[in-house]
Amino acid sequence: MDETDAGTRGPLTRAAVGALLVGTLAIAAAYASAFRAGGAPAWAAWLKALGVPLVQVATMVLGAARRGRVAGGTLAAFAALGALLAGVFGLALALPAGLGGGERLWLGLPRRAAVIVYGIGLLPALVLPVVYALTFDAETLRPEDQARVEAAARAARAARGP
Amino acid sequence: MTPVARASDPTVVAVALAYFAVVVAISVWAMRRTRTASDFFVAGHGLGLAALTVASVSTSVSGFAFIGGPGLLYNIGLGALFIVLPASVTNVLGAWVLAKRMRLLGEVRGLLTVPDAIGARYRSPTAQGLSAVAILVGVVGYMATNCLAMGYVLDAIFGIGVGPGIWVGTGVTLAYSAAGGILAGVYNDVFQGTLMAVASTLVFGHVLSIGGGIGGLTRAITPTDAAFLGPWGKLTPLAALSFFFVFGMGALGQPQAVHKYYMLRDVRQLKWYPLLKTVGLLLVLLLFFGVGVAVKALVATGLLAPLATPDEATPTFLLRFTPALLAALVFAGVAAATMGAMNSFLNIGAAAVTHDLPVAMGRRLGNELRWGRVSTLVIALAAAAIAHGSGALVAFLGVFGWGLFASTTVPALAIGLNWEGATRAGAVASIATGLVVTLVLESLAYFRAFSFPAGVTGTAVALVLSLLVFLVVSWLTRARAAAELDPDVRVVMEV
Repeated sequence: MDETDAGTRGPLTRAAVGALLVGTLAIAAAYASAFRAGGAPAWAAWLKALGVPLVQVATMVLGAARRGRVAGGTLAAFAALGALLAGVFGLALALPAGLGGGERLWLGLPRRAAVIVYGIGLLPALVLPVVYALTFDAETLRPEDQARVEAAARAARAARGP
Repeated sequence: MTPVARASDPTVVAVALAYFAVVVAISVWAMRRTRTASDFFVAGHGLGLAALTVASVSTSVSGFAFIGGPGLLYNIGLGALFIVLPASVTNVLGAWVLAKRMRLLGEVRGLLTVPDAIGARYRSPTAQGLSAVAILVGVVGYMATNCLAMGYVLDAIFGIGVGPGIWVGTGVTLAYSAAGGILAGVYNDVFQGTLMAVASTLVFGHVLSIGGGIGGLTRAITPTDAAFLGPWGKLTPLAALSFFFVFGMGALGQPQAVHKYYMLRDVRQLKWYPLLKTVGLLLVLLLFFGVGVAVKALVATGLLAPLATPDEATPTFLLRFTPALLAALVFAGVAAATMGAMNSFLNIGAAAVTHDLPVAMGRRLGNELRWGRVSTLVIALAAAAIAHGSGALVAFLGVFGWGLFASTTVPALAIGLNWEGATRAGAVASIATGLVVTLVLESLAYFRAFSFPAGVTGTAVALVLSLLVFLVVSWLTRARAAAELDPDVRVVMEV
């Protein structure tokens, strides 16, 4: 299996925790900047547009990791999600504002609204749950995992006594 | 308390009465099957995938999605969508982060509650007790908000007044919650969630039909208010992204959704859970988007006068622009959403009082089922009294409750259950931080002693601070991490 071997508390878990910390600090800095006399500077929104996806993807990696490993395909899906979220937020920030009645619509919406509604509200919903289902048997819960948990439960009950 | 528009239509009243009759029938059936505390609090760990999914959708969506949400969208434009956009990610995030490990931990330890899982993870009655206190405080606040929503809904349908509506709605929900516990709640949720999805989908189809599709609605709104359809609506980017962060990550800390993982009969059924729940949630949330945009388009084209208050968006649209039967279905759906949320919160609050706090103090109660029913009664009466007596304060309590769940549960449970480096000290410090910071900041903001700059909320600050405290304190006390993990918990975290 194509896996990133990282050990029980290996580099991948450490990287995810590190990314979680960096993303949270970025969000904290964006909030802190809003307390300045002139209000939040323009970079605060960019910091948040990067920090929020980083926090979500890092948390997802932590959750999907088994003994510090995440399969390459799943890791790629997470990276794609992070890029999608950051990219769409960035597009919404960077594209020029609406052109009024003359603007061409994308699936019925002005383009900046369309990238948000369809890019974030719909696209991940169509892809990620399918990735989860397709990788469930091989990566999320194998039969031997269940046997291991049942054995641990029996041992714990025996140790606690009747 | 300002009443919303009234239906006073025989079809609406008849459908509402039929709805309540079904709820009573399901509750009587569930009451006969509730014999133990496990039945009462976690449905005997015996739910199938379909029941779990629909029930989870139902409890994830309160009346806000049908009334407050469309009103907010009408008021601030597409920026309001950042509350619900995370739904495309949160279900699968929850599946990867919490579902499997919560379900397996529940099986290994016979757990009933979210604080149970925190106590087991850190081998810490203190962490379990603090988590239970936070959940109990949040439950009463959130319950009060939903009691008030129920008052509005029953007043709109039957014209009985908001105050009596609060007590009647709370009474019906209390009756089935105390009698049948979560078993009645779950099977009512299945009925209610189905109703919500059907009603929402039909309304969205109707909106597209009368508005000329999404493009037609856009062309109606743009000439008078182009900012409404901007990517952030009328919010600043910082404020919209703040919604996405708080509702995206905060969803991992909502006990009414998280503790349902314990109830699944076969852990392998989790495979399809996020897909089914995401589809269900998107269907239920169609109304949020559809009604908010449709009402704005109707006002923009002069077919409807501007609303006096945003919360009138859904009732006004239903009563003036949809067939009576469809309006009736949605009113029943609103009642369903509110009652589903109330039942779950009652159950969780009762568990905190009768199970978590006694366990944290090392003194388990003798008959948890009986005390669970008594606690359900007390919490419901307290929440209804707060809703009836405090007016606008309940909106504050709802925000406070949601934020409290997020800041006190996400770091300790969602991160801690997946990171062996997390420590007991980190968990206790983060729960205490979330509790104190949320209480202080939201209270200061509510009583106008302090105002946050645009884009910043007390809830968001509390979540950020509790995450940082959790990570930093765990790092500082990392030498103790390995010794604080029981072998069976370690296995659950490794698989």
